[in-house]
Amino acid sequence: MVLPDFDYYAPATLAEACALLAELGPGARVLAGGTDLLHQMKTGKRAPTALVSLKRLAPLREIRCEAGRGVVIGALATQNDLVDSPVLGARYPSICGAAHQMASLQIRHLGTVGGNLANGVPSADLPPILIALGARVRLVGATGERSLPLEAVFTGAAETVLAPGEILAEVAIPDGGWTGSRYLKFGLRRSGALAVAGAAVAVRCEGGLIREARVVLSSCAPTVIRSPAAEAYLRDKPPNDEVLAEAGLRAEADSRPRDSLRGSAEYRRHLARVLTRRALSRAIEEGHG
Amino acid sequence: MSAKHRVIGRSVPRLDGREKVTGAAKYTGDLKFPNLLHGKILTSPHPHARIRAIDTSAAERLPGVKAVITHRDVPDLKYGISPARWDENIFCIDKVRFVGDKVAAVACLDEETCYRALSLIRVEYEPLPAALDFLRAMDDGAPQVHEEYPRNVNTEIHQNFGDVDQALAAADHLRTDAFLGNRTYQAPIEPHSAISVWEGGKLTVYSSTQSPHYFQYYIARQFGLPLGSVRVIKPYLGGGFGGKLEPTGLEFAGAELARRTGRPVRMFYDRAEMFAHNRGRHAQYMEITTGVTREGKLLGARANFIMDGGAYTSLGIATAYYAGALLPLTYEFDHYRFDLYRVYTNLPACGAQRGHGAPQPKYAFESHLDNVAADLGLDPLELRLRNARRPNTVTPNDFRVNSCELRQCLERARELSGWDRKKGRLPRGRGIGVATGSFVSGAGYPIYRTDLPHSAVVLKVNEDGTSATLYTGAPDIGQGSDTALCQMAAEAMGYRYEQMKIVAADTETCPLDLGAYASRLTLMTGTAVMRAGEEVKRQLLDLASTLLHLPADDLDCQEGVIFSRSREGKALTFEEVARTHFVLKGPLVGKGAYTPPKLGGSFKGAPVGTSPAYSFGVQVSEVAIDEETGEVRVVDVWDVHDCGTVINPRLLHGQVHGALAMGMGESIWEQVVFDEHGKIRNPDLANYRIPTALDMPRITSEVVESHEPAGPWGAKEVGEGSTNPTMGCFSNAIFDAMGVRVNSLPLSYEKVWRALKEKREGGG
Amino acid sequence: METLTDPQGVKRYLVTVTVNGDRHTAVVKANLTLTNLLRDHLDLTGTKKGCELGDCGSCTVLLDGKPVDSCLVLAVEADGREVTTIEGVAQGGRLDALQESFVNHAAVQCGYCTPGMILSAKALLTRNPHPTEAEIRGAIGGNLCRCTGYVHIVEAVRAVAEGRVAPEDEGPGPWIRR
Repeated sequence: MVLPDFDYYAPATLAEACALLAELGPGARVLAGGTDLLHQMKTGKRAPTALVSLKRLAPLREIRCEAGRGVVIGALATQNDLVDSPVLGARYPSICGAAHQMASLQIRHLGTVGGNLANGVPSADLPPILIALGARVRLVGATGERSLPLEAVFTGAAETVLAPGEILAEVAIPDGGWTGSRYLKFGLRRSGALAVAGAAVAVRCEGGLIREARVVLSSCAPTVIRSPAAEAYLRDKPPNDEVLAEAGLRAEADSRPRDSLRGSAEYRRHLARVLTRRALSRAIEEGHG
Repeated sequence: MSAKHRVIGRSVPRLDGREKVTGAAKYTGDLKFPNLLHGKILTSPHPHARIRAIDTSAAERLPGVKAVITHRDVPDLKYGISPARWDENIFCIDKVRFVGDKVAAVACLDEETCYRALSLIRVEYEPLPAALDFLRAMDDGAPQVHEEYPRNVNTEIHQNFGDVDQALAAADHLRTDAFLGNRTYQAPIEPHSAISVWEGGKLTVYSSTQSPHYFQYYIARQFGLPLGSVRVIKPYLGGGFGGKLEPTGLEFAGAELARRTGRPVRMFYDRAEMFAHNRGRHAQYMEITTGVTREGKLLGARANFIMDGGAYTSLGIATAYYAGALLPLTYEFDHYRFDLYRVYTNLPACGAQRGHGAPQPKYAFESHLDNVAADLGLDPLELRLRNARRPNTVTPNDFRVNSCELRQCLERARELSGWDRKKGRLPRGRGIGVATGSFVSGAGYPIYRTDLPHSAVVLKVNEDGTSATLYTGAPDIGQGSDTALCQMAAEAMGYRYEQMKIVAADTETCPLDLGAYASRLTLMTGTAVMRAGEEVKRQLLDLASTLLHLPADDLDCQEGVIFSRSREGKALTFEEVARTHFVLKGPLVGKGAYTPPKLGGSFKGAPVGTSPAYSFGVQVSEVAIDEETGEVRVVDVWDVHDCGTVINPRLLHGQVHGALAMGMGESIWEQVVFDEHGKIRNPDLANYRIPTALDMPRITSEVVESHEPAGPWGAKEVGEGSTNPTMGCFSNAIFDAMGVRVNSLPLSYEKVWRALKEKREGGG
Repeated sequence: METLTDPQGVKRYLVTVTVNGDRHTAVVKANLTLTNLLRDHLDLTGTKKGCELGDCGSCTVLLDGKPVDSCLVLAVEADGREVTTIEGVAQGGRLDALQESFVNHAAVQCGYCTPGMILSAKALLTRNPHPTEAEIRGAIGGNLCRCTGYVHIVEAVRAVAEGRVAPEDEGPGPWIRR
């Protein structure tokens, strides 16, 4: 098993990286943790002519609170940095939990937040919880930068709005007043298993009612999707078993998975329902985890 | 353990422990040779296609390519590990028969160039319709995998013992169940590799093999060489489980590439290729019928199986016979009929995987028995106790069973698992299940016909007596045979384990041993070792008798001290007597060999399944099922085994743990899945899911007191037998938890969920 | 990073990696993995290849102290970093407690997963000297073993966490000595 030949660059700044990408053209790709990209290259799914490594961009590894922006996660934070982050542990343990169940420790030490988002894989574990919490991403290119909601990034299976040469630099989670959040993943093994289906929720409960809820499903469509039906239904409802069960049903109705090696469409739809209900219940009862 | 043993019965640390924990242990793929070339095999992208033309010229022109070979460059002699059906060629000649079939090979300066060279070989294929579903492969008009075998029948077995029809007619209760097994795969963590080196007319092959001897035999046969001109060496080996028992093509292709280039060639499979070449467990359709009395006494059984053999025979004929032959071992009944078809398909060939043909039929039989118990309102464990085989009995198919403590195993498993407290009393979603198993301690007959002993060893005490070296062809494939055999050698000689050395699994420096398969080393090689050790001891005591002026029969030797049984204070050390022996008489050497006695009946297929001794075991598992998702969590597993005298308790329990883990994987997670073009969809360790540390439950492993008269010091096998009850015990635990049975392996979460859903919907 | 271009136009990169305390410099192609740098260039074959896709953990090394699958790390990415392989765990011929414990508990069978397993366990105990059984299992969740069912491996790690290197239940035994 070998990797195809490519040129390698390790620019010192983000601007330099963007300039390089622009100069190298569409054959070049960004290398962050490499866990997805090198896998794809080894199995013949991609053959970039150049890799632009971000390893020297240390500031992009930080996880911090920033006034007005909420919690800001640098794209180069590894999945395990999320697990261990005191900032996230205090604010959103649900993100630590989602990161913890992503993969083996060896992969979590390599794989980055940016990679997990920018690859646009529908079974990725971080997008659901981050979308549920209303995360925004900062995309930087040679000609400028833009900020947009994370959910607007994904356009299809392994397809994103990222323009060639554009780098996903940061994720920010603005304070949305959520009282609880949770990501639940259903895998076929306890370690190293991709999601058969996953559901992330964020809820804002006040006065004994669910004022607002976000329901996000992974592995249930070509991209990570929200369930508008479940979210609309939950508004101003009491958090009882019937309501949560009904929300699960509505999420199931919004899901449109395919048959795959890991599970039939029917099974995955069913799992979307169960996971949505369970995630809501946990988020309501246990807050952010 | 018995106090009369000094060295066996102790959990001495492994001989190879230090090398393995420091990274010093060299596996085949770690070896380096000057001027080494790298080789790769080009395989077929089609499940079934005629080869119209092969053009290697572009590959040959690529810089760094040293040789390209196809069927034109190698002998066209057919081979196969099983002489009953030689149906493979080194490279395909007229057509390819599965995705992954071997077409050509290259030797290059580095690995990268190999892949480039392979991509430059132009093969013109004419795709043919493929037989991908083994249950339809015998249909009229199904594509023919081999023209020589009509209706794709590779093996057909019809065995009949006693009068089954009458026995079933006389039964109070008759029941038939059908089950479907899964195609699984050994998944050793070390990928296969082989390094071929020619020196003059002699070929040396370093290979990740479970049987240096069979490799030597078939490589020599293929190239028309005398056995002595082929040397096969097994370096450290990273797990086999049956998948490294037969030459995979790496050895043949590598030998020819090395001959042509005059340079050592290292061939290897990557993980995905291993799935195509490893010859995993056959998937089979299994129909079981039994007739029982009201009290649950088995009167007779019928087994009707169809096996997916894949494109070639491999070890499959033995697998096929094993599938039925081992079924009557754990329960006593006199009437038995076994019918089986092993069919060719355009999928990778299947062969031997831990437990060989036995685990899936055992799964079917044990699941069926629980259905019978439910029909009769009997406790499944009680049903098994009523039918459990007793020692010194003969099975309907003429297997003689000496030691057999199956009842004791059942009783102990009942106690350990809290069976009586739990069965029928567990909370909703939880279940407990039991199953039994048995396995050969070595096959009664070799894979090819020969009158050579199955095992032979030489034991040499070194000049000053401070160490002794055991020379054995037996390959340690991780199970710890080097350690156990050295314990046995020390025990037999009256020596210390700590002073033992071993030279093993090298056909040139070691006497013949058939290899690590059929759980044969402890009993067979162990007996040869015991004989060699006793020969050394006899010579030592004879000399000591002269030195001490005492009769030899008054002397004994234990842990390196020779002493008089009758007089205190009269003692010599092993070292000094051994040294004196060397001075006076030359090298102190013991030899031992083992050939099994004539075993079994005379009907067709009678040899398969014969063994000098059989292990017996019981497993109980407890599972918890998430009824909403079908997720199965294994809570606890208990294994109680009768494996005769234990040589090394920790190694023994390690075998049980490993067998259970593999069996658990096969029960719930593992299955090779193909697409509609016969291509494996999950040829990787992410989607072919073997259990991780997080999936494994607590395991309790115990042995019962037992002594096997046919084994050295009373020992018999454990390594494969412990996989035999596993799938059945999980099937039964899941059945107990759900109240509904999934009749196919693996018992995946989705299948469990679906069965529960259907039960709910069906039951309203 | 220094680069050279060969006559075919393929670039080579000068990397410096500290492996087990020794500084090594190598000229490599960008597509060389850290696994292959260690095995083929530095002859450190204790780092094993099992799947080459990050699924099995047999190529685990510590990169700046953290366990990673070296098959998914480019050698050029390891430039300037510190790597510990299994060959660097024993100090001056003296086995690490974990190595000793693995041998004494028969946590080793075929041994192919062992280097990666020990490095994962080593990283765990460095970070968390007294882990629970669940934490031990979590730490080695990315190291597949097909031989042991993990039972003796977990016991071996737990023993070291409890200050032992030999099994509790089996007498003085002729245990391996460091």
